[in-house]
Amino acid sequence: MSAVHLQLVDLCVSFNGFRAVNNLNLSVNKGELRCLIGPNGAGKTTALDLICGKTRALSGEIRLGDKNLTTMEDFEIARAGVGRKFQVPSVFRQLSVRENLEVALCRQPGVFANLFRRGRSGDGLEHLAEFVGLADQLDEPAANLSHGQTQWLEIALLLAQDSELILLDEPTAGMTAQETRKTADICNRLKGKHTIIVVEHDMGFVRDIGDVLSVMHQGSLLAEGTADEISANERVREVYLGSMGIHGA
Amino acid sequence: MTRVSLSPSRRSESVLNGRLQIAAYAAVCLLIFLVPLGIDDDFLLNRIARYLVLGMVAMALALSWGYAGILNLGQALSFGLGSYCMAMALKLRTVPVHTGSEGLPDFMVWNNVERLPLAWVPFQSMTFAIIAGILVPVLIAALLGWFMFRGRVTGVFVAIITLAALVVGNLLIIDLQSYTGGFNGITDLAQLELFGFEFDAYSASTYYLVATCLTVSLFACLAVTRSKAGLIFQAIRDDERRVRFFGYDVAAFKILAMSVSAAVAGLAGMLYTVVMEFASPTFLDVPLSLSIVIWCAVGGRQSLVGALIGAILIAGMQGALSESEAFLDSWTLVMGVTFVLVVLFLPNGLAGLVTLIRNRLAQSSRRSEGAALRPALAEVSASKTGDKS
Repeated sequence: MSAVHLQLVDLCVSFNGFRAVNNLNLSVNKGELRCLIGPNGAGKTTALDLICGKTRALSGEIRLGDKNLTTMEDFEIARAGVGRKFQVPSVFRQLSVRENLEVALCRQPGVFANLFRRGRSGDGLEHLAEFVGLADQLDEPAANLSHGQTQWLEIALLLAQDSELILLDEPTAGMTAQETRKTADICNRLKGKHTIIVVEHDMGFVRDIGDVLSVMHQGSLLAEGTADEISANERVREVYLGSMGIHGA
Repeated sequence: MTRVSLSPSRRSESVLNGRLQIAAYAAVCLLIFLVPLGIDDDFLLNRIARYLVLGMVAMALALSWGYAGILNLGQALSFGLGSYCMAMALKLRTVPVHTGSEGLPDFMVWNNVERLPLAWVPFQSMTFAIIAGILVPVLIAALLGWFMFRGRVTGVFVAIITLAALVVGNLLIIDLQSYTGGFNGITDLAQLELFGFEFDAYSASTYYLVATCLTVSLFACLAVTRSKAGLIFQAIRDDERRVRFFGYDVAAFKILAMSVSAAVAGLAGMLYTVVMEFASPTFLDVPLSLSIVIWCAVGGRQSLVGALIGAILIAGMQGALSESEAFLDSWTLVMGVTFVLVVLFLPNGLAGLVTLIRNRLAQSSRRSEGAALRPALAEVSASKTGDKS
């Protein structure tokens, strides 16, 4: 059993009195791929927002290894080793694919270090672009990419960033079955080297990649276990899986 | 598109584009240096030098606005502060006849100031004045940036705050009449002397001084935009939140962009005093500051040299039209129409026109290349069908 990498302790946050996350406790081991599932509004995305510093916790604590992320600024959290893919693909639309990757490759975040470095380092970026199938679009502005390609670019950005902890918010949204399979492949390949948390609705995808699932409901953890254990869980069926017919895959 | 491997040639294409950019910038600078050879009229030369200085400010704005997305409506504040630093030093160098009793500047005597104010004393050194002319605007821009960007103020609020800062600066200069000459500014200046060389405003020497400073700052700014920091500026312009999640301290980068821009504007301000032979509160007033934005927009804010040329053209046109008899009453209308037309049809300014033409050319050349590749393409796409969406 490996060491605990990420730990959330009694995390609470409220938006205008609505407790989006309520006493959430979660711990993820190093190198583990954890899927976070739950009905809409369960607080999954908010939980990711809290970890990466987009939202501030009302109370509770977030620890990454021996670092306390709770009060850090968002860019400090990123430096501490947290990378995030957003639900809505957000890439730099006016920059080319290559430039997007250059930005993501944040070896030295300091201002002056970057002032005296060339804009094009090129090390290994072609390789990365090839890996996600964007080798021919390297000099294309990201604005010209299709939705699927934008998703791939964002995944490539995460790979370039090379964080210890990777947060993926609905990585397969808008992808074809084939692309979803490729995403699952990438996730499986990253597993072990990186700690990954995936928020996803697509149960098939979750079964493909997840060792342990955590089910959230109304801002707290409802259940935790393997895919089979979760499917068998009465409470989970009641609040979430019962409605799978509506969500679809 | 299918996977016909074009990446090596594409890569050399992008390197080539970079070289072309440097070559184009060098050509513009060379042209600027050649101008005095064809012009024998010192007054005209002085006027062109003036436009070049204005071009420098527009270029500085392009760096912060076009690259980092900071719309600084107070660009004239940096410009004006630079020009006052130079004017103070030159005022203290005028021959005693003009400076009232005991070497005190004349306007101070009229304002019953009896001793040279402490703030003026270090300006007896030209070295200090030149350093101050760059550092004072930088410090003020950095301080302003620190408050705004640490507080994560963005977009239109940045424009409002910088505009307000400009108005405050302008009012202060007008109000502190006994130290700054108030409305009249600082006039009756000595000629700039550097390394035993005298720069007469109405001579080629001043023109070359301006052209040299312009070239140096143009290439310095170009180096900044081509550095990784320049790339991060552009990423910030596109989506600053995303940049933060890569671990960059966005506020620090924005402060840097504003400071570099202020340094160039300050230098331009100093040169403006040399060229105009006075400093006045109109150097840091709202109309000038807004004009800088317009020059920048017309020339193309995402291109340094575009903004430079935009400023030279528009300011030159402004000068020529306002003095020609036919447009004496209607020149502002002509300017307005020009601006509207550019914004409507060339959202990226005149520099956008170059990109547009280049893309057209690339497209047509790619089309002929595509015709040659067609059989190969058909084969590849047949084998790769379904590989991509």
